Amino acid sequence: MSYHNSVYLFLFLPAVLLAYQLTPRKRRWILLLFAGYFFFWTISGKLVLYLIGTTFFTHYIGLWLDLLKTGCKEKGEKEKKLEKGREKAVRTQYRKKERLVLALGVCTLLGALACLKYYNFFAQNANLILEHAGQRGIFQVKTLLLPVGISFYTLQAISYMADVYWEKIRPQRHLGKLALFLGFFPQIMEGPISMYGQTGEALWKGEDLRGENLSAGCARILWGLFKKMIIADRLYVLVTAVFEHYQDYNGSIVAFAAIAYTLQLYMEFSGCMDIVIGSGRLFGVTLPENFCRPFASENAAQFWRRWHITLGTWLKTYVFYPLSVSRMVKKWNRFGKKHLGKYFTRLGATALCLFPVWLCNGLWHGASWNYIFYGMYYFVILLAGSALEPARDQMIRVFGINQNALYWKIPRILKTWVIIFVGELFFRANGLKAGMTMFFSIFKDFRLNTLWDGTFLGFGLDKGDYMVIFGGILLVSAAGIIKERNLLNGKGLQDMKTPFRWAVYYGLILAVLIFGAYGIGYQQVDLIYAGF
Amino acid sequence: MEKIIEILRDIDDSIEWEKEQGLIDRRLLDSFGVISLVSELEDSFMVEIEAGEMVPENFNSVEAIYEMIQRLQEK
Amino acid sequence: MQDFKNNLRKRGRVFLFFLILALLLGGVSWKVGQTAADHEEWVHYRNKSALLLRKEPKDTIDVLILGDSLSYTAFSPMQMWNKHGIAAFVGGQSGQNIQESYYMLKTAFENQKPRLVLLETNVIFRPQRGNSGLTMTLAAMGSYYFPIFTHHDIWKSVLTDKQYPEENYKGFQFREVTDPYRGGAYMKETSQKEKISSTVEDYLEKIRMLCVKNQAELVLISTPSPANYNYKKHNTLEEYARQKGLKYEDLNLKEEELRIDWERDSLDKGDHLNLSGAWKVTDFIGTYLHENFDLPDRREDEAYASWNELGKKYEERAKEKLEAMKKDDKITGEEVDNRRERSLPVYE
Repeated sequence: MSYHNSVYLFLFLPAVLLAYQLTPRKRRWILLLFAGYFFFWTISGKLVLYLIGTTFFTHYIGLWLDLLKTGCKEKGEKEKKLEKGREKAVRTQYRKKERLVLALGVCTLLGALACLKYYNFFAQNANLILEHAGQRGIFQVKTLLLPVGISFYTLQAISYMADVYWEKIRPQRHLGKLALFLGFFPQIMEGPISMYGQTGEALWKGEDLRGENLSAGCARILWGLFKKMIIADRLYVLVTAVFEHYQDYNGSIVAFAAIAYTLQLYMEFSGCMDIVIGSGRLFGVTLPENFCRPFASENAAQFWRRWHITLGTWLKTYVFYPLSVSRMVKKWNRFGKKHLGKYFTRLGATALCLFPVWLCNGLWHGASWNYIFYGMYYFVILLAGSALEPARDQMIRVFGINQNALYWKIPRILKTWVIIFVGELFFRANGLKAGMTMFFSIFKDFRLNTLWDGTFLGFGLDKGDYMVIFGGILLVSAAGIIKERNLLNGKGLQDMKTPFRWAVYYGLILAVLIFGAYGIGYQQVDLIYAGF
Repeated sequence: MEKIIEILRDIDDSIEWEKEQGLIDRRLLDSFGVISLVSELEDSFMVEIEAGEMVPENFNSVEAIYEMIQRLQEK
Repeated sequence: MQDFKNNLRKRGRVFLFFLILALLLGGVSWKVGQTAADHEEWVHYRNKSALLLRKEPKDTIDVLILGDSLSYTAFSPMQMWNKHGIAAFVGGQSGQNIQESYYMLKTAFENQKPRLVLLETNVIFRPQRGNSGLTMTLAAMGSYYFPIFTHHDIWKSVLTDKQYPEENYKGFQFREVTDPYRGGAYMKETSQKEKISSTVEDYLEKIRMLCVKNQAELVLISTPSPANYNYKKHNTLEEYARQKGLKYEDLNLKEEELRIDWERDSLDKGDHLNLSGAWKVTDFIGTYLHENFDLPDRREDEAYASWNELGKKYEERAKEKLEAMKKDDKITGEEVDNRRERSLPVYE
């Protein structure tokens, strides 16, 4: 089962909704949990045990941390009575223990993830090195079955443990609540990665179904289907044709395919998020947004605050900040202040904290050199952006540039597009080597005329398909611009007059039915991020 | 309070730090700014700021920063 | 009271919304169906058989053949017509699943009273585990009740005049490419059986019941295909047929009577038959039907004048093509690819 296919939309979701409404409020969480495990099971079968195991383990670590925290408080107070100030020693002592428990939790979960996801990558590369040294490779490459969404629920579990450790949240004693947080069915395949504070309690409430939630949720789902079925699934055909046989095409087509892939990925991932968030909305649950019009970004840093937002937030909260207050960075800061001056100290600290973040970002997507390169690519660009910041500020001051003017904004947005397209080219390429070849072919062999000499009709898309893709993108862009420039003064579709609203619904339904890439002549395209 | 404002001015002197209530939400302080700020605060006030304290609510205004420092000093 | 009124109004609005939606969908669906019926050339190859079946005059088809690509690459109705006067129609589709076979049968019974329904058995072994079966059921059901699902792509033809031309003889087309099968004997005796998915079993039963209800006899037939058949499947089918009291013909065991020559009769290395193979199978099956079932000879019937015309045309074209194939006058290069593409659409 998958969010965009008919069994989910026409059978599973309505059945869960109906059963949910019929179940007494206090028991609704059980239904949602059961639905989540069933959903998981239809995709990964017995591997649902991984999710259940992770849940038990995370719950246990949470309770353990809680035990230490209460122990610390009690003992601290006792000591305080004996002599003021002695409670500090107790706190340090307990803090150390807590840290060990947290480390145990995080390492176990990451270890499980690494074994399943990265073992082959490690084995292959280790063998290569061994063979290089004249020995035989000793690691066997195994086919390991990856439970669906493991990269997503593992991050959620880690965030829960860290939040308990930092006392951002109280540990959850009820196993069921935590299980639901990790196994809410709309989030299982592709996120969004939420923190316990965001969805943990809302999922539990079991609110009645309400008309406005149902209509808003359905509208959001429709919008997602529009993006996925009309645009993304068509672009898929073109993208696959070029990326799988990149040697056959010249630079202009490769460049075009990179743009097409970026659009495909956006339409697909954000479209799926619309379906997911819409599904949550049906139950009155607000899931965190994952996209915020990324193509309006003026630089790469902004892009990452607008694209796959929950992953960025997760990495910032659980990798970047902990690193930035770590002993290593503090030492660097002290050293820098004495010897280097403010600019270089700051740049160095930034590099120290950013490098692991982007290494993690790359690796998270999968064990492959092109993902690592993708991470490093953004590391370099963001670091460069940070390094050039003073120069840019200087320029703005000297020339008196109005930062909100379009002559300043639009070139910056276009520059960011180029950065994004190149990044996604490497991201999609079949390995780093292929990515490099493709990238350099853009400069070596660029023939613009192939863009209109009919080559494009050979990719499995015809004139009609291109028309629909173009029209669809235009519509999505228009909706994006309206929101970005706030042209409706913060009003949404729900605030419109009924006839207009209904017309939009009918239009979307008919558009998906008629122009959707389903049925004969089209392939069902699996969700890209479900593979990560 | 004064000391905090001084540190903030050292990071950027074009912002009227006292008046702002959304330093993080309006991105006057970006994550790199926060890093330098934290290390300065730790040195000046002899506190240890954990990663768990790195939430917008603690850094949105000078008052919020001040409250956090006080809380940490009491610990 | 106020609450109650509000509630009522809300419900009224929801009702109105869905009423308009239903009208809209019904209207569009009807229009799309009409457009498809008026423009055969705009309808995708895979949807042609159902469309043409609907267009056949009332109560003229005596034998309906169902199945996936194995059905329409093996049985040629016009050949049976020319020899025995049997009015048959192939309602096959490439990759037809059993749900689609069922709805094809339903489509046929709307307007026709076939006495005999032949089911090519490969549909029974298409895997339908868990979700995939459910998805197929939903798709087949949706397509039957709402033509818009089947023909939604017709906007391309309306806007850019995309066409799907085809020389169609009651569901059969000429396939004149040869790619031999050289794997040797493939029906090795065994007592093992192949499993049937439960969804398939359900729909097989539905097909059987629908035939009973409409007084048509259901016959199972396996056409010669080394790529798709083996003895395990034979055992399963034979047992099923015995249990339900159905006739079952496995032509894979009758290679010699059929005189199949895998050097000449295979379209694609033992998966499908080409025209020469179809000719042999149809010859055999035509006689089999003629001898075993009480089927009327319609050649003298005035209502079938158009069949006689089409039969003549078919005879001429088929002979011509068979001669060319015999001369080993092989088509080469791009032409082969073109024809193969037309012979077996890519989504097979």
